[in-house]
Amino acid sequence: MALSLTVNGDRRASAADPVTPLVDILREEFHLTGTKPVCREGFCGACMVLVDDRPTPSCLMPAALAEGSDIRTVEGLGTGDALTAIQVALETCDAVQCGMCFPGMVVTLTHLLATSPEATRDDIRAALSGNICRCTGYERIVDATLSALAVK
Amino acid sequence: MTAGTLAQGEATGTFYIASSLAAALDALNDYGPEGAAFAGGTWIMRAPIRHQPLKTRHVAIGKIPELTEIRIGTDAIEIGAAVTHAALASALADLPDFAVLTAAAGRSANPAIRSLATIGGNLATSDFSAADCVPALLCLDAQIEVSSRSGRERMSLEAFLTQRSTLAPGRLLTKIVVQRSRHKTAHARLPLRKAGDYPVAIVSLSFDVDTANYVRAARIAIGSVETVARRWDRLEAALLDRPLAPARAADVAAELAGEFVGRESVEVPPWYRVSVLPRLVRRATAAALGA
Amino acid sequence: MSEISATMDFRRRDARDKLRGRTRYTMDRYLPGMLHAAVLRANVASGRIVRLDTSRAARMRGVRAIVTAADAPGKIGIGIADHPLFARDVIRYDGEPLAAIAADTLAQAQAALATIDVEIAPLPAVLTMAESLAPAAPLVHPDWRDYEVLFEGGARSGNVAWEATVVRGDVDAAFARSDVEIVESSFRVGRQNHVAFEPRAVVASYEDGRFHIETSTQVPWTIRNATARILGVPPSQVRVTVPPVGGAFGLKFDLAIEPFAALLARASGQPVRLVNSREEEMLTCLFRENAEIRIRSAVTRDGEIVGREAVVLMDCGAYGGEQIFLTTMTAHTLGGNYRLGSTRLVSRAVYTNTAPNGAFRCCNGVYCTFALERHTDEIAARIGMDPLAFRRRNVLGDGDLGATGQVFEGNVLAPMLDRMDTLREAAAPSRTLADGRLFGRATTVGTWFVFVGPSAATVNMNADGTVTLVTSGVEIGSGSMMQSLPQIVAGTLGLKPDDVVVRAADTDAAGYDVGVGGGRTTVSLGAASLSAAQEVRTKLLKVASEMIEAAPEDLVMRQGRIEIAGAPGSGRTIADVATRAQAQLGPVSGTGAFTGAGVPAMPGCVAGHFIDAIDIPVFAVHDCDVAVDPETGHVEVLNYRVVQDVGRALNPRAIHGQIQGGVVQGLGYALHEEVTIDTHGRVRQNGFETYRLPLALDVVPVEISLYEGAPSVGPLGTKGAGEVPILNVGATIACAVANATGKRVQELPLTPPRVLELLLDRKGELSLSHIAEAWVDNLVRPHGTAAQNRK
Repeated sequence: MALSLTVNGDRRASAADPVTPLVDILREEFHLTGTKPVCREGFCGACMVLVDDRPTPSCLMPAALAEGSDIRTVEGLGTGDALTAIQVALETCDAVQCGMCFPGMVVTLTHLLATSPEATRDDIRAALSGNICRCTGYERIVDATLSALAVK
Repeated sequence: MTAGTLAQGEATGTFYIASSLAAALDALNDYGPEGAAFAGGTWIMRAPIRHQPLKTRHVAIGKIPELTEIRIGTDAIEIGAAVTHAALASALADLPDFAVLTAAAGRSANPAIRSLATIGGNLATSDFSAADCVPALLCLDAQIEVSSRSGRERMSLEAFLTQRSTLAPGRLLTKIVVQRSRHKTAHARLPLRKAGDYPVAIVSLSFDVDTANYVRAARIAIGSVETVARRWDRLEAALLDRPLAPARAADVAAELAGEFVGRESVEVPPWYRVSVLPRLVRRATAAALGA
Repeated sequence: MSEISATMDFRRRDARDKLRGRTRYTMDRYLPGMLHAAVLRANVASGRIVRLDTSRAARMRGVRAIVTAADAPGKIGIGIADHPLFARDVIRYDGEPLAAIAADTLAQAQAALATIDVEIAPLPAVLTMAESLAPAAPLVHPDWRDYEVLFEGGARSGNVAWEATVVRGDVDAAFARSDVEIVESSFRVGRQNHVAFEPRAVVASYEDGRFHIETSTQVPWTIRNATARILGVPPSQVRVTVPPVGGAFGLKFDLAIEPFAALLARASGQPVRLVNSREEEMLTCLFRENAEIRIRSAVTRDGEIVGREAVVLMDCGAYGGEQIFLTTMTAHTLGGNYRLGSTRLVSRAVYTNTAPNGAFRCCNGVYCTFALERHTDEIAARIGMDPLAFRRRNVLGDGDLGATGQVFEGNVLAPMLDRMDTLREAAAPSRTLADGRLFGRATTVGTWFVFVGPSAATVNMNADGTVTLVTSGVEIGSGSMMQSLPQIVAGTLGLKPDDVVVRAADTDAAGYDVGVGGGRTTVSLGAASLSAAQEVRTKLLKVASEMIEAAPEDLVMRQGRIEIAGAPGSGRTIADVATRAQAQLGPVSGTGAFTGAGVPAMPGCVAGHFIDAIDIPVFAVHDCDVAVDPETGHVEVLNYRVVQDVGRALNPRAIHGQIQGGVVQGLGYALHEEVTIDTHGRVRQNGFETYRLPLALDVVPVEISLYEGAPSVGPLGTKGAGEVPILNVGATIACAVANATGKRVQELPLTPPRVLELLLDRKGELSLSHIAEAWVDNLVRPHGTAAQNRK
């Protein structure tokens, strides 16, 4: 039985096994490669997507369970060529290095901006305890988030 | 060594999303040993890294209304087995007698995992020794409801822990029931980093302390040190009918800690899990008194 | 020379797409008809292959090609060609490749792997260097004598894959002096996994008799040449291109899985993608090597170091690889920092039946600096001198001799220590902690270098006023290719850096390059790019001088124009001049080339070294405050400060980003990241649950001061700035923890159990009985006997 998934507003079908991790269908079938499978254990956060607005590690979500939900990947966050507020802040702060963790960072921080307008530095660090960055040492990501919160 | 999880695999498995408890129990019963209940998925989906085969038939229970409810009554609270850690922490945030459970559910793993992982999964996964909610619920003297097509039964969490790995197909943990009290409770966990990893040792405790600060009842549970969490009876007894003080609790814990044999693991040597217990007892006691 | 400064906080052009998930790393590439590959790996540490039958796998659904040892005749290595692509007859480590399969889907490839019939007869294994160096130990390479030697000079014997020695002065006499204290220290460090978020990944195709390898690498030319060698084809038949690389840190400084995909592409006639699983990365990454060190110094009571000797054992795993080269580095790291009256050092790369180790940011330097700085603190304590005063008295300065006898230029470390004093005093940390934790502070120094070596660049002047920079440089995340290189070219030509198009690495398009690593991008590729841009500048000015009717030396290039100096708005746009030049003479371009000049060492001092002296030293001073929980062993870093010698900072903001990131990687090495090997020879940490990287809550903002003005032959006075920030983090944390606890810190990482073990005196002193008491007894060949062979 084919799976039917709503990804970035589009209805997509997949013939994959229902327990296939969502990340693999997004990448291998829909070619939405912004979502990165890095640890496949839910620790790194690089495969984070929004499932009904909730940050979800797509390596731990069987595709069948995502049916009927609004799945939003990093590719579906902005409109057209424009960057979102957190993307602008991260670019302005020169936060990006290799970039592999940033799609997941952007997803987690998009949620934080929407739900925790009063977040402090420590709140942001705690919110990122499931998003690992190997390059930057985090500080600029936290700085960028604070600046995005200040703009809002 | 695995070479990545399978993409583009053929659809061979069954993934049934149950909309009612009865439907879930029917499916689990029909699937027998081939089947497994699927709650948050944070354990099952990591089967490849453990080199364990996935079951071919899953019954998702996370969308069953009865299992995702939290009922807060005046005498007891009832928690559906598919309630997530995040939902539980947020529902109990204002109940001081459940500070231990709020902390357990609210600080485990990381935020995204907490919004997937369920309390039932935490209790039912017998291979997961570092579960935060197990000692927390042990010190709350929780009762467990197990359901099957033939009915529902209640048992203590202790009893459930001894049965869980051999639970017959078709039997499902459906509810956790905890009596309310005026106890002071607290949860102290020791991850190796500040947060984000599994604790190497957990102390969950619940004290009934009278107005003179004497301990009238004590329940202390230790998690992650041994393979299965358990109550620390001797420490409970030693603290009973004495004034409650963090330093003294820690000293007694240090005297008695020798009864624990730390489990073997990649993370830390066995002795380490045991030797941090006094510190955690002191921290938890101080937190309980502060509560 | 240029009127437009190359110095600015220029933003990176790749950030937007990286933030939107649009960047296609190698692992994201997808070609029409592409197959998926998987590699069968051995599950024993040592054994003989009795049977390897792939006939059943070949009949499995979807399988298009299977390759084994028979398809890859060559061997590669650094110094010695000891490493085949697949295990041939003999298995030397758990995880060694046995066969590779390409199929229509990854699931099919994996299913087919499981049907390969393998029988392995186990052989005795040596899993530690102590076992490997024991008398009568089984040899990891019984036929080591027959291997092709690619670089002469190293001593070798049995399980000692390579030995490099330094002897300068009369160390015996120094140690025999009556006015010295002899201080001896021993240290041991574990492995570190790079955990590049993009695993090793490759997409290969085979067209018109040539391989095209798209791969996630730092070294496109090494991939080209080593793949050719392994496959037994001419290097010109291999083309390597490199998409954006999702983290590398040295992991991708060597050939990895590229030949599997190349062979499978040739065999199947279809493109093949191969991506390592995280578990493969965790178990077989080319780790920073584990090492064991004994260091002894003879020091006068007023703090003069008259003699120093050391033995450094570096575990190379089953094959020599990078460690053979890294034996060179001990002279410059452990032998660095301080003026030494005399010294002798031996550095040995030792074979074990474990996964091969490799390069990792400040290879060798991080643990040699840890050992040296902890040893330095022990010396200061012994002679009763303040550790900072001892360092001030002894740090290398202008005209001082390094370990190999090279002469250092300029006083750099001493003023950097002064600079750190001002940073530290401004912070004014509390010396007592109210919560019962133990407070410790430490300052350390470190010596690193820039790995110069050949680089090539071409700058093409386009008639629209932009230029295209063509090199074999790779953007691995550090930003050098996105920031410093276009800044250098733009500054030379009076353009905006955005007007410099940076061509992605392609060995068919650009000349040879050693690779991106060793802090060399800005220096070597930068120097080649600068020289290419200068050639374009000269050509343009000549044409412009005719157009403007002014002498070339009176012209300046600024803001996209060529103008008469001092007359803004005069002259022509660069686009006009380029258009005219193109019409008159043909398109304008320039080429540049660079390699290190080579600084001399003292004759006779070194044997078995690949680099006798360092062309561009780089110094670092680090300082931190820690709090240690006496009951759990948790170390919290309260403050961290860095003074770093950068030569000249072209993009200070980018360098700050590198320092913050490098220090945090160092904190992982110092405190959290542990690799252990089980009794069967397999790495125990197979994922992120057990291999703990620093998280956002574990780090502090690093206070940074960039020290500019130290001598450098780098372009515009630059030095590499991205590699060195990790150098003395392990050292600084270790010294601070030792100061906080009063215990002798001899091992890293300082995980909570290890610190608690120290605090509780649960473990005795570290003993390295496989390091012989007398320095000379550690050598397989006395220093000097064959050392001059290669000269």
